[in-house]
Amino acid sequence: MTTNEELTTPKAIGRGFNWQLFLQDNLTGSWMQTVTVLLLAIITGSYVYGKYEELPIVTAVVVALWILGIVSIIVSEIFHKPTAVSRWLKQNLLTSFANSLLTLFVVLVLVSAVNGIWQWSYVNANFNPAETAPEFRSANGATWGVLWGARKLLMTGWLEPIHSWRVWLGLGFILIMWLFTYITSRPALKEKLRVARMVLNGFWLLSPVVLYILLAGISEGAYNVTGTITGVAVLGAIYALLWSQKVIPFSWGSIIGTVVAWPLLYTIWWFIGNSGQFPPIDPDKWGGLLLTLIIASSVIVLAFPLGMILALARRSEVFGVPAWLIWPVAVAATLWGFTTTPELLATSRNLVEQIMSFWPVIILAIAYMIHRVFNGNIVAGVGTTFIELIRSVPLITLLFMGIVMAPFFSGEGVSIPKPWLVIVGYTLFSSAYMAEAIRGGLQAIPKGQYEASDALGFNGSQKMRFIILPQALRIVIPAIVGQFIGAFKSSSLVSIVGLFDFLGINRSIVSNPAWLGLRLELYVFMAIIYFTGSFLMSSYSRKLEVQLGLGDR
Amino acid sequence: MEFEGPSQSFVDEIIIAENVHKWFGEFEALRGVDLRVKPGEVIVILGPSGSGKSTFIRCLNRLEEHQEGRIIMDGIELSHDIRNIQEVRREVGMVFQQFNLFPHLTVLENITLAPINVRKWTRDHAEELAMKWLTRVGIPEQAHKYPGQLSGGQQQRVAMARTLTMQPKILLFDEPTSALDPEMIKEVLDVMRDLARSGYTIIAVTHEMGFAREVADRIIFMDAGKIVEENTPENFYNNPKEERTKLFLNQILQH
Ligand SMILES: Nc1ncnc2c1ncn2[C@@H]1O[C@H](COP(=O)(O)OP(=O)(O)OP(=O)(O)O)[C@@H](O)[C@H]1O
Ligand SMILES: [Mg+2]
Repeated sequence: MTTNEELTTPKAIGRGFNWQLFLQDNLTGSWMQTVTVLLLAIITGSYVYGKYEELPIVTAVVVALWILGIVSIIVSEIFHKPTAVSRWLKQNLLTSFANSLLTLFVVLVLVSAVNGIWQWSYVNANFNPAETAPEFRSANGATWGVLWGARKLLMTGWLEPIHSWRVWLGLGFILIMWLFTYITSRPALKEKLRVARMVLNGFWLLSPVVLYILLAGISEGAYNVTGTITGVAVLGAIYALLWSQKVIPFSWGSIIGTVVAWPLLYTIWWFIGNSGQFPPIDPDKWGGLLLTLIIASSVIVLAFPLGMILALARRSEVFGVPAWLIWPVAVAATLWGFTTTPELLATSRNLVEQIMSFWPVIILAIAYMIHRVFNGNIVAGVGTTFIELIRSVPLITLLFMGIVMAPFFSGEGVSIPKPWLVIVGYTLFSSAYMAEAIRGGLQAIPKGQYEASDALGFNGSQKMRFIILPQALRIVIPAIVGQFIGAFKSSSLVSIVGLFDFLGINRSIVSNPAWLGLRLELYVFMAIIYFTGSFLMSSYSRKLEVQLGLGDR
Repeated sequence: MEFEGPSQSFVDEIIIAENVHKWFGEFEALRGVDLRVKPGEVIVILGPSGSGKSTFIRCLNRLEEHQEGRIIMDGIELSHDIRNIQEVRREVGMVFQQFNLFPHLTVLENITLAPINVRKWTRDHAEELAMKWLTRVGIPEQAHKYPGQLSGGQQQRVAMARTLTMQPKILLFDEPTSALDPEMIKEVLDVMRDLARSGYTIIAVTHEMGFAREVADRIIFMDAGKIVEENTPENFYNNPKEERTKLFLNQILQH
């Protein structure tokens, strides 16, 4: 095949430098190219000139280095002795005329930006917390004192200082837990510390309770005997159900543990409450970073399992309620519902209320949906409807609805603190999106995985737990962590409904006469905190992906 | 290398399929299939693509639901009762064309997951038996690798070990060698031969003629959702009864 090779190999690769080719490549190749390069040269030139007036030394150094680089490339080309540096420069920064000019331009922009930040944040800045009033501020420097001065507001909002130690304790608890988790999950120790890891996991399960006691507190009260007995009955019923479905095996140890657990935990809870050490804190006093973290972590912890349940519900194929059952029940319910219509009609004041008194037709519409759209699968129907409803409403609307409508549901005289409402609203919102992400993961699992599990005799819940979910969740880690990061950052939306989270607290800080107008300093600080949090989460997710990705090798 | 076989069955006919019909929507994939198999028999099913071979053996462990007729496996009738289905699936093992190993688990975990959670054995017992079967299929050294790190032939042998560790009495093979490169087919067929000789009841969909001639007790030829011919291997290949069979044999033997 020699002819082919001759055809495809260009002949004119000499060792000498070809000026003609060089100019054609860089300048005179086309009309557009010439104009672009000339324009770039003019812009860069004038920018360099402007910067030279402003920062003579820095600009001179940058330009000198740039020229040096070009010269070193020319020299190495002429003598055919490229050094590592000149080769790197040629490949990355000074590839062509246009690129060389752009390099100079961009480097100068960066240098002056860094210089500006440096001047503002350090050289001209005032770090004294006592000197934040306008008369102390320099025109083009930061007044960092506000961060220290307003630290209480920034971190915990209007929480009374006497409770601060509880926040510190909570923080210490979480940090220590993290530290231990980190140590015990080292590959070298993983097997040896099996028991310690189990204990630690138990503590993690308890940690929401611990944090609740620390941050919200327990009120004193009489020992609730009825509640205790109900709790035992409920737990026993769950145990019996799981056992009859063969999800858990029967053993005396586990049943005694189940029955005793509730009274034991309740008694501990009651004692802590009556010790008076952890009196209730009004959640409406939470603010700043504390509130942001409480909202974000509650949403993350609650939305994930809820989203999983929703995703499984939407895909479920069980409970095909037959039409002969749906319609009689629906018609009966509708007829019963219509018995209220005459009364409603009599008391209605306008057309809308008149129409609304025929509400039972909605029951028929729902029955039609369940029958036709979902083939009688009520579980999938409920799951799908919930997800689609939530996803078609903006988050803000949900938050407003939660706060405005809660009083109608909570009954006379009971007012639920806003943070709880916001957490519920946000959790519903987040779980709908989480559910869709998880559903995507479930759909990516090949049919063969389900068939192999069936053929091996796994029941439905085992199949999900051991085979399908571990694979599906691994696929959706990036999407789920995206949701987590979203929950962390978008929790700042709660300032719209009147909460003073980390971002919202800004308003009250800058309205203090001593810190009037010091927005930029606060925003920079917040950006750093938000960035750190999000960055930690996403790098943890990447680590997790690698760890769980073992099977894909 | 002789190993113990499956546990004893106390029925005369371990598989009874009577007039089995199966529809996919409007399309009738099985049109009245009858088959009776004695314990320890080895049956090979042949037939053109789309004739319903896979559908039939997938009905035998309820991966597909039949709509008419009866299927009785080891004395248990397959019905809507979920407990019957679970019980049958414990006795019937299936090996798929695409292996269907669980990619997120190691070979050993793949094999022991069902014995521990379905048969409720202890981990030690399950692992012991798993290693025994891995040794028998010839790859004990791969126990701690992930499926993605094995060759196709090795993966299929892991899939067999996974099925066999559950101690089934009946084995269903759906073209276990057709996703494999030629040089790997032999290692899988060797295992299948070994199993056939140690007393398992086997129904295999496979076009491997050597295997069929050597170990099959009967060959069943299906076409368009029906059993067209049932014969001994010798007669099936040398003087088939039906015209349709001859046509089919001509086609596959030309290659
Ligand atoms: N899930 C399904 N839905 C609809 N039709 C199906 C389905 N599975 C199989 N069929 C149809 O049933 C018929 C029998 O399919 P089956 O897979 O049993 O054939 P086969 O004999 O195993 O063929 P092959 O040798 O190609 O594997 C085919 O016509 C196929 O299109
Ligand atoms: Mg098939």
